[in-house]
Amino acid sequence: MSEKIAIGPFNPELEESVYFKLKADENRIVTDVEIINGFIHRGMEGLVTKKNFMQNLILTERVCSLCSNNHPFTYAMAVEKISGIKIPLRAEALRVVADEVKRVASDMFNLAMLTHLAHTHDLMKETMNIREHMQDLKEVIWGNRMDMSVNILTGTKYDLDEGKIEIILEKLKIVESQVRALQEKYENSEAFKEKTIGVGVLPKEDALSIGVTGPVARGSGINNDVRVIAPYSLYAIRPEIRPNVTLRTEGDVYARAMVRFGDILEAIRIIKDVVADLPEGPTYLEKRPHIPAGEAVVRTEAPRGELIYYLKTDGSQKPERMRWKVPTFTNWEALKVMILGDKVDNVTMILNSIDPCISCTER
Amino acid sequence: MSKEVVPKLFRVNTGSCNGCDVEFVATAFVDKFELESLGVELVEHINEANVLVVTGPLTARSEPFLKKYVAQMRKPYAVVGIGTCSVTSGIFRDSYAIEGPTDKIVDVDINVAGCPPRPESIAEGVAKGIKVLQQKLNGEATPKTLDMIFSDFTAPASFRGKIDLNEDMCTACRTCETVCPSGAIEISAVEGGFIHKVWHNSCCFCGNCAYFCPTGAIFNTNSFDTAKTQDEKYSEVNVGHINYETCSCCGENYMPPSRGLLGKAYVHDDVSKLNDAICPACRKEANFKRMYG
Repeated sequence: MSEKIAIGPFNPELEESVYFKLKADENRIVTDVEIINGFIHRGMEGLVTKKNFMQNLILTERVCSLCSNNHPFTYAMAVEKISGIKIPLRAEALRVVADEVKRVASDMFNLAMLTHLAHTHDLMKETMNIREHMQDLKEVIWGNRMDMSVNILTGTKYDLDEGKIEIILEKLKIVESQVRALQEKYENSEAFKEKTIGVGVLPKEDALSIGVTGPVARGSGINNDVRVIAPYSLYAIRPEIRPNVTLRTEGDVYARAMVRFGDILEAIRIIKDVVADLPEGPTYLEKRPHIPAGEAVVRTEAPRGELIYYLKTDGSQKPERMRWKVPTFTNWEALKVMILGDKVDNVTMILNSIDPCISCTER
Repeated sequence: MSKEVVPKLFRVNTGSCNGCDVEFVATAFVDKFELESLGVELVEHINEANVLVVTGPLTARSEPFLKKYVAQMRKPYAVVGIGTCSVTSGIFRDSYAIEGPTDKIVDVDINVAGCPPRPESIAEGVAKGIKVLQQKLNGEATPKTLDMIFSDFTAPASFRGKIDLNEDMCTACRTCETVCPSGAIEISAVEGGFIHKVWHNSCCFCGNCAYFCPTGAIFNTNSFDTAKTQDEKYSEVNVGHINYETCSCCGENYMPPSRGLLGKAYVHDDVSKLNDAICPACRKEANFKRMYG
């Protein structure tokens, strides 16, 4: 006997709209999964060709608000590659600081949602409360809790002075100790472990053949962190700030959560290292860039994995074509492996464990 | 006699970039935003809900689903649109895939602009939505405006809130209009000068205009008071008048140079003492006479 179950598209357990059609047997084990999407498709690839390069800095930020620094960062890198511009070292450092701050907040949010779906409410509340420190920090330094609006072509909008560095270090000190304590709580929470260990397993062979990226890959024992294997920006200039990647081999929901903890702590370490030795100089080039006709491909490491931008220009003030491959695009395929053979009740949690960014994927 | 209302919230994401949804979750689960104090309950099914929270610009794909969901709600209910996208479709307005904004499909009661709005604004919007719901339950008419409910929330000085314009500094150069990604700024020529409009409900609060403005005339205030009723939707505009001056010499109208720009050009001089109220053509003539006449 099989049972048909539909989840979505608007479900309080799903942060974004997606529609699952599942078939389950009498033990509520998923035997067939169909994922229907397209709810978040806003036609952004068409929209970017209608806006000029300055407007696109903000539009790319609105691809996804959780990795909202990575998109304009990568876009700006692509434009700079076409123009043949080398941006000041201080700007590279400032971009990396903003990027890692976003990474901490994004990963914390994913962990909060995970604990929410695992019905460990205390852990969820605590994770959200720790994340609030990062939100406050973003609001004080950059002026918005989600979209920081850091990047411009040839540099950054913001600068850090002694006082702001002090604020950052103070907040990080609080967050770091609290995150360490929180990780211990996750590791010791029987309720959480029972819900997550052995759930949604992605074996290494499948991970390799699907080509997953980011924490999903690292949870299955594959290190493909772009910051390490193809360093860019300040990671290329200063090898010592590259992250020491956390690798787990279990490939289950728990492993991916622990990889994210590793990412958070490394991100905090990177921010501290960068602001401790912030290069002197301007934060942007005075001269506005000339953007000739050309093509560029750039890749960076977003909180969810590898982000690739392809940009084609024709010498005008607007891109001729822009296309991006986002981490969730490949991680999404892995869902079918993870969900099949698992319980129906675990579906939303498994979905959350890849940290899906549907607004990136469907744009 | 007024009936007691238990607000039951259901959130629908119609294509948002996550920002508003994440902030909504933060509002709901972090104590300091006081959503709990309103007695709000988050429900699992749409047919239990009486407050609908909508985020996102309403994509073509989610439009029929939103209709279906709204049809399942029992009346009366209140609709709170969260984020600039749900109010005006914001930055995505020109896209082929957008059917929004939300008020084309549903009768929205409260709009909360912001990209994303601060949790304080979201809490404010939800609180106002509950107030509207209460009035509907009692058979009263929906109010045109509502007072602030949470008055003790503050924002740091650095917060990028509603845009304001310093009219004396502006020269109507249209830089802000060019860099604004969501088309929230409009400068139109009228008799006697220009009118500079900023639509707070289209603005995505990115601060591009303030950053690129050559004279520093346009700037972000830290005001986050954006939770407004539907009746106020089209009146949320910041209007600035940039007037021509009449030349004291020939009587022609001309755009006076901004004090901000003059200050940059004449670093060592006191700008206020410069020869003003004279149009560029007359100035040229006077200078020519002075040097060669």
